[in-house]
Amino acid sequence: MRLSGLEGRVAVVTGAASGIGQAVVHRLAREGVRLALVDVYEAGLKQLSQELAGVVAQQFVADLTDPSEVTDLAKRVPDEVGEVSFLINVAGGPVAPSHQDPLPKLPDRAFPIEEIDDLSWARILATNLTTAFLVCRAFVPRMKARRSGRIINFSSIAARRGSDRVGVHYAAAKGGVIGLTKTLALELGPYGITVNAIAPGYINTERIAAGAWGRQAPEQHSALVEAIPLGRLGRPDDIAGIIALLCSDAGGYISGATIDINGGLYFGP
Amino acid sequence: MDLENKVAIVTGAAKPDSIGHAVALGLAHEGADIVVADLYEAGFPEITRAVGAAGRHCHCIRTDVADQSSVEAMVRQAADRFGRLDILVNAAGGSWGITPEDLTAPPRRGFVGLTNCSLDDWRTILAVNLEGAFYCARAVAPYLRESRGGAIVNFASVVARRGVAPGSEGSSGPYAVAKAGIIALTKQLALELGAYGTRVNCVAPGVVMSGRARRLMAALGEERGPEGAISTIPIGRAGTVDEIARLVVALCGGETSYMTGVTIDANGASYMA
Repeated sequence: MRLSGLEGRVAVVTGAASGIGQAVVHRLAREGVRLALVDVYEAGLKQLSQELAGVVAQQFVADLTDPSEVTDLAKRVPDEVGEVSFLINVAGGPVAPSHQDPLPKLPDRAFPIEEIDDLSWARILATNLTTAFLVCRAFVPRMKARRSGRIINFSSIAARRGSDRVGVHYAAAKGGVIGLTKTLALELGPYGITVNAIAPGYINTERIAAGAWGRQAPEQHSALVEAIPLGRLGRPDDIAGIIALLCSDAGGYISGATIDINGGLYFGP
Repeated sequence: MDLENKVAIVTGAAKPDSIGHAVALGLAHEGADIVVADLYEAGFPEITRAVGAAGRHCHCIRTDVADQSSVEAMVRQAADRFGRLDILVNAAGGSWGITPEDLTAPPRRGFVGLTNCSLDDWRTILAVNLEGAFYCARAVAPYLRESRGGAIVNFASVVARRGVAPGSEGSSGPYAVAKAGIIALTKQLALELGAYGTRVNCVAPGVVMSGRARRLMAALGEERGPEGAISTIPIGRAGTVDEIARLVVALCGGETSYMTGVTIDANGASYMA
């Protein structure tokens, strides 16, 4: 549909270089949004920028678990792209990327709790929850000063209904994102800023297809798909549409919500 | 356009300055032909003209959604007129002024809870808000199965999430119960219609400045509405008809292609489910 309130505005999309982030970037670019593309995966950002010919889009390579890199990012974006209207925190996942290993392979199975060591607990929390906190903290002051903005964080079906596909570290981090979202919605409402979370279900990105799903037996795969009322896995575009919607005038009165996008696998509380 | 040549039934769309009215126009602007099902016949000429101005056909049918035979006749007539049905938006409802006799009645004063409402209140409010959506969905379902790619959008309310506090006016206990029922109706229909590619979702608005809410505020004052003072809403304002209508139109189209069974709270962070 025709979405209003997007054209010419600036969005920061973290985790822009692959999967859902990439789809969000393409969707917002189509609506005339100017983009700050943020990822630790530099090669992916370069590739994405090439696909965005004619779009105002600036690349920012950053490890968002590092507070100083986030602070630096928040200083640069307004100067190099413009004042930020939409902050879209897609960055995260069941593995923890870094400058040294920017696109780690996704696990091919879930981790039982006794296999999650202190370091992987800390790193998955940092990748999925601390990044959202740091990015919001860095960008919020200017949004408050302008008394407008939309923030969208990423939770997961793993937090909403639990999941046997990842591990408690990922689910706990994504649950934390919901608490962060609600409290920030209360805090920033008086400044005209909405804050919401997206909880995707099973979205078939290239990386996930190459990870656990690519290895599961066909009957396991069809059991998963049959359990989904809409009868298919999600596509990154299915998420991108809602992001555009929440940033548009249609999203103006939605705040503090967690929106489940999972083909009917889980309906919310 | 996303909804080119689809046919949408919108109940409760005839009153100007209502959410249903804005949804009907929004769908027309996306290319859908519109069936308006409403008791408020006085509004038929205006919505017909407005949909026509958007370049689409509009067919108005006097319908009492609380009356099953009235709903079935409406759906049959709509299908005969357009040959297909793709979208149903159940916007008819409310906690006062919802019967054929009092469509333009002023809001009732005083708190109406479950322990002090009349049985007539209970039955009337449940009938229009919950049974009406059930009758419409049931009657339309066979056509939506044919449509493959159809959509239903229902309306709940923030009061379904949190109830109506004693002392507040302009909403009611039975309304909260009916709207909570709508959330479950949405989930159940999503399960039953998913295999046909029909998505069923719901919007739960907080205070929205429709004509109805304005009449309410005129009677009660901004500090006494069904959600308490507007100033207590975190985002500091009521919602607009326009933003809720845009959301509903999006729930009928491609932006929400992988969503079903979901209730979206649009309440300015006043209650976060």
